[in-house]
Amino acid sequence: MTAPAVTGASPRPSAALKRLTGAVTFLLPLVVLVIVWEAAVRITQVHPGVFPGVGAVMKAGAESIRDGSLWMHVGASMGRVMLGTVLAILVGVPLGVLMGVSPAVSTFLTPLFRFFSVLAGIAWIPIATLWFGYGFGAIIFVIFNAVFFVVAYNTLLGVSGIPITLRNAAASLGAGPWTMLREVLLPGALPNIVTGIRTGLGFAWRGLIAAEMIATNVGLGYMLFLARDFYRTELIVFGMVVIGILWLLIDRLILAPLERRTIERWGLVRS
Amino acid sequence: MKSLSIRNLSKTYFDPYAGKHVTAVQAVSLDVPEGEFVCVVGPSGCGKTTILNMIAGFIPLSGGEIVVDGRSVSGPGPDRGVVFQSHALFPWKTVLENVAFGPKMRGVPLADREAIAREYLALAGLAHAADRYPNELSGGMQQRVGVARALANQPAVLLMDEPFASVDAQTRMTLQEELTRIWQERRPTIIFITHDVPEAVFLANRVVVLSKGRVLKEIDIDLPRPRVWDALIEDERFKTLSAQVLQLVRSA
Amino acid sequence: MIAAENPFARVWGAYLRLIARFPSVGQIVPFLPLIALWALVVELGVFPRAFFPGPVDVVQSFITLTWKGILPAYLEDSVVRLLVGAAVGIAVGIPLGLLVGLSSKAHKALWPILLFFQAIGDIAWLPLLIIWFGFGLQTMTFVIVYTVLFPVVLNTVLGVRSIPLELHRAGRSLGAPPWRIVTEIVVPGALPNIITGLRNGLGYGWRALIAAEMIVGTSGIGFLMFDSRRAGSVVEILLGMIVLGLLWYAVDALILAPLERATGQRWGLVAR
Repeated sequence: MTAPAVTGASPRPSAALKRLTGAVTFLLPLVVLVIVWEAAVRITQVHPGVFPGVGAVMKAGAESIRDGSLWMHVGASMGRVMLGTVLAILVGVPLGVLMGVSPAVSTFLTPLFRFFSVLAGIAWIPIATLWFGYGFGAIIFVIFNAVFFVVAYNTLLGVSGIPITLRNAAASLGAGPWTMLREVLLPGALPNIVTGIRTGLGFAWRGLIAAEMIATNVGLGYMLFLARDFYRTELIVFGMVVIGILWLLIDRLILAPLERRTIERWGLVRS
Repeated sequence: MKSLSIRNLSKTYFDPYAGKHVTAVQAVSLDVPEGEFVCVVGPSGCGKTTILNMIAGFIPLSGGEIVVDGRSVSGPGPDRGVVFQSHALFPWKTVLENVAFGPKMRGVPLADREAIAREYLALAGLAHAADRYPNELSGGMQQRVGVARALANQPAVLLMDEPFASVDAQTRMTLQEELTRIWQERRPTIIFITHDVPEAVFLANRVVVLSKGRVLKEIDIDLPRPRVWDALIEDERFKTLSAQVLQLVRSA
Repeated sequence: MIAAENPFARVWGAYLRLIARFPSVGQIVPFLPLIALWALVVELGVFPRAFFPGPVDVVQSFITLTWKGILPAYLEDSVVRLLVGAAVGIAVGIPLGLLVGLSSKAHKALWPILLFFQAIGDIAWLPLLIIWFGFGLQTMTFVIVYTVLFPVVLNTVLGVRSIPLELHRAGRSLGAPPWRIVTEIVVPGALPNIITGLRNGLGYGWRALIAAEMIVGTSGIGFLMFDSRRAGSVVEILLGMIVLGLLWYAVDALILAPLERATGQRWGLVAR
């Protein structure tokens, strides 16, 4: 149904206002949740060592910000995730493309990569700590393999799934191997690569928290586990909130825009 | 099968982008006696689909009244069967289960409703496809199941929203011929929405031309039945009527 | 194209025909060269054997642990925990997803909360759960339910919301009352997404279980691996990893794949 043409200034609500109301409607239920939480703690008079109130959590948070320990733990965790993920993408994508180009190689290797992407992440913690000792190396290894196998496997699937007609079309238009890679294979596999990064990062994030609980003396997982030793539930809850916010930020600022630019925009979204 | 009459039907809605109220349908009145086949034609945006959605009860009216079988109606109901442009078959049900859905909702026992469904599938020429899933059928067959499903519920009127718009030209002609055959056998009351002028003239007893939310003109189609394309394509009367309707639509 | 007389091409062609006939062969054969390479590296003594044991050692430890009954008992513990967690997660997740998907009020109120709790992630709950429930079964069950729940809820919502408006309209105009719309149209329409959610949920729940067994466990495959790590026994760690991988194949082949075949594929709704 087409509306009659509109003349003059459009009274459409401005984009900024729309974003603001969107943010408010998103945050309102969370604010309500916090109020319910505080009310529940006050009414039930639960022991703060079992279930802390909002005030105690905020105080613990403020303290960890003031003494700098929060930044130390967040910095360590984020640094590990970024390093492990970037390394894994740098190795996994080219390897996946190489394997996917040849039908023979991809047919043969797909089951292997499927197996290892099933194992990716947490299952490697014991052996990683044996091989690399407790600490940085083991954690990076766990994150690396959580992302690497999933990304390589998805790249492999993506490249081998590019219709042969597209590759023939590019070849008949005079594309050499390099152009083929840049103009056909990588863009064609990109939606899969992005899916792989999202899944792999999800595994890596969990693997990171678990590995930090077990195998290090700095990082968010360690911060939670240390607080548990001293029954400091308010610090644990604060740490959980930080972990939640960090993941939402990773999701909103990195993964979602990446998906919008590739999968959705090209109309390739699978639903 | 029963009659339908709409009185002073109108629809206005608020367009948030334009920031004002827009009138899509304006005081449309139409009487469809029992057993008549009416086609509503008009260009995109003339309000024809809005009218159909109001009759079906999918969207609320802004004014006026819809009377089916002597009773004023609102909201969707089994007295008005709908055939959708996008076929809207349930992908998780077989063809037979799709056609038996209406009787099932009325509480008809399993054996009886399967018998009803098979009868209407046979009428649509699809007896052989009963156990297949909609996804496994061609576009033309999907639309035939859609017609059978709507008819199996024995509605007072059948509402069809450009049902043949997305099938290929040859299949489309076959479907049109079959629809006129089914209509002659069963005499359902049909309101058929289309933007295709020859289709409207081929199918209808009466063509209603719509423009900017109003009825521009009603034209009786006095072509003999049964109608088949091989004969009508050369028919002078058909050509004259089509030209007349086409002129109205283009001036709309 | 490789010339037909090339012996490699002939072997490859035979292999392709074989796996076309027996697809499971194609899932196993690729592991043979990997295992051979593994054995070779061990034989060459590149790494100390205690650090990097060979396939034969792993098989021996498999036989020993199975003979002693440790491996079957631990495997049973892990599988039961996973299944109980999955069952509870599904029983809560699907109705919740239907509610949030169908009611825009429930969606407005609950969606941000769901997203936030999903973002916290299962494993971050462990320290708090240990304080609440101690080192034990309740803690592990909570973690698995939590992990399975969110993917199921979020995908159910997605599935419910992706059902075309026409199908709702068709159901209503054919005379279906509201609760029949839910049972006949909303649930089957969302089913392929629900199964995708289950697949993701089990994939994550699986990892959460291993982590929980490592950190709080007294039994299970994760505990076996971590206990072996404390004892410095790499063989049993490798065995645990292989068992985990195989177990996922079993879950996939016995539960997920049949579900997917029975729903989405024939309906033409299947994702990917």
